[in-house]
Amino acid sequence: MRMSNLRNNRRGRRKIFRTVLIYFSTIIAVIFFIFPIYWLIATSLKTRAQAFSTPPLFVWEPTLRNFIDIFIKRQTEIEAITGQELELATGAETFFYNSFIVTFSSIAIATVIGVLAAYSFSRYQPHGTNTLMFFILSTRMLPAIVVAIPIYFFYRSLGLYNTHIGLILLYTMFNLPFAVWMMKSFFDEVPRDIEQAALVDGSNPIKVFYKIALPQVLVGLGATIGFLIINVWNEFLFALLLTERATRTVPVMIAGTRGEVGINWGLIAAIETLYILPALVLIFVLQRFLLRGMTFGTVRGAK
Amino acid sequence: MTRVEIRGLRKSYGTVEALRGLDLVVESGALVALLGPTGAGKTTTLKCIAGVEEPDDGDILFDGESVLGIPAWRRNVAMFFQSYALYPHLSVYDNIAYPLREQKMSKDEIDKMVKSVAEKLRISLLLDRKEPSTLSGGEMQRVALARTLVRKPLVFLLDEPISNLDAKLREEMRTEFKRLHKELKQTIIYATPDYLEAFAIAEKVAVIKDGMILQYDTPINLLKRPKNRFVATFIGSPTINLLKGVVRRGVRGWEFSAPGLRLELVEVGGASSKIYDGLEVEMAIRPHDIVLEAQQNANTFKAKVLAAERLGYETVVTLSLGEVELKTVSKGMRLYRYGEEVSISIPGDRVILFDVSSGEAIY
Repeated sequence: MRMSNLRNNRRGRRKIFRTVLIYFSTIIAVIFFIFPIYWLIATSLKTRAQAFSTPPLFVWEPTLRNFIDIFIKRQTEIEAITGQELELATGAETFFYNSFIVTFSSIAIATVIGVLAAYSFSRYQPHGTNTLMFFILSTRMLPAIVVAIPIYFFYRSLGLYNTHIGLILLYTMFNLPFAVWMMKSFFDEVPRDIEQAALVDGSNPIKVFYKIALPQVLVGLGATIGFLIINVWNEFLFALLLTERATRTVPVMIAGTRGEVGINWGLIAAIETLYILPALVLIFVLQRFLLRGMTFGTVRGAK
Repeated sequence: MTRVEIRGLRKSYGTVEALRGLDLVVESGALVALLGPTGAGKTTTLKCIAGVEEPDDGDILFDGESVLGIPAWRRNVAMFFQSYALYPHLSVYDNIAYPLREQKMSKDEIDKMVKSVAEKLRISLLLDRKEPSTLSGGEMQRVALARTLVRKPLVFLLDEPISNLDAKLREEMRTEFKRLHKELKQTIIYATPDYLEAFAIAEKVAVIKDGMILQYDTPINLLKRPKNRFVATFIGSPTINLLKGVVRRGVRGWEFSAPGLRLELVEVGGASSKIYDGLEVEMAIRPHDIVLEAQQNANTFKAKVLAAERLGYETVVTLSLGEVELKTVSKGMRLYRYGEEVSISIPGDRVILFDVSSGEAIY
């Protein structure tokens, strides 16, 4: 009796220890990843003086000033110092619009083309499928910076420089390999018999595609779109290189945002906060898909 | 009611030849079983008939007209897939209704047909289930069967439709199929690796191996007159006895002789001209055909019991006879002990001889 009690006790204590350890390491990991975001949002709610105070402020009276400054002219502070009239509003709405339109369009095109291509590769395996798949992947093997200069000159001479279309085409091209490879692996997992059954049941191949195959890879499609959006939303290099003021996207704009007197970190933080919000919402909505997408093998239909 | 004719069907997947010149005629309204081991080409044959696989060579005719030019979705064939192939994103009801909706039938008609087939297969209570993947194996199989049988096609193709059910349900379904066939009066091609199932259901059975039909015959003929060694060994349980030996000219006709065994052969339908003195053969005799505790007459031997397995009303007795081992089946409840001596008789008219090298039956 006593022996077993003792053993139970020891087992119980070990279990508690394990639980504590798991929670502790989880909390550490979460702090590690969340802190930068917290600091970003905190800074966006501070005045310039508060942002620079040492030791850093953890308790302060939050201000929405920075958020207002993004969109509305405010000149008093600067005028007081320099006596000059300055155009201070950031024009952020244009850049946000640019980011949205470029991301949305390129993802839409890449997804449509990518899904159709992936389905064809997976189901019909045209001659040279492996070679083609390799070529598609090989476009992602060079670091982007290598092709930056040639693409800049191409775009200059083709008239794509500083246009939405230019960026959309470029991002579509960059995302296609990803879309094709990822979607192919999802389509590969759809049992062939199911589609053959639909053929025998009287559906033509196009119907089989959208009535049978597509519904089964919806999770994969969600994951793919999620990854693609994050890719494009964060892209900086080509956006910097190929745009001017009219077509500039938010990442480039943030890098270029400086107050006239030093860097206004509060303002930058506010813009960034607005910028990561859609991404956060997206990840929250798609988290189930993203998780599944990272563990490819688990997407299964029947059986 | 459609007559299905397959001529010289060939199909390869890469370097693997799945079908190597398969010929088969299924008369209109017949239920024919396609019997063969895994990888024999049963599924490929059915898929070619359904039109979801394209044969490399050969022709498939429905009522004398080639259907190879007709795509699967217009061929009007219903197929049950061995993997069930249920649509995982559709409810059980929608799965069964799917082929009817593709035929643009009216809602009421579809509803009536789905409900009646569900009742027949006893899955009415499952119709509302949203995810077929949550069903048990037997339930899935019946849902898939319902989706196949709800249609009125030219031909039904069933690929191992009851192989994954438990023994009792399987027996029930076997009877159910015979009844369904009588009711539907449809041409049915039924693939199975289980000879008992094939025999129980079909009027004619085509034994398939390595992409070719080895023998296409009635169950009785397959048992009694297998055309080659494979058909003989594949059908029947316990497996047919095979003994190597030589044919000799005896006093009263042909004899089979092996070490410690001399057997008089009874000529059935005239001795084959392929037989000659000294021909090396394999002699085959079904365990059920060996008579235990026989009266003294020709072809009676003394044998020793090596093992006895009691399977309820039957006992499989392994005997040693000279240098060879034979299996036989005893119908009674009698117990056999190791080392016991029994007399057995091998009826000469039940013996089959195979050519040693080709495996073809010669007698």
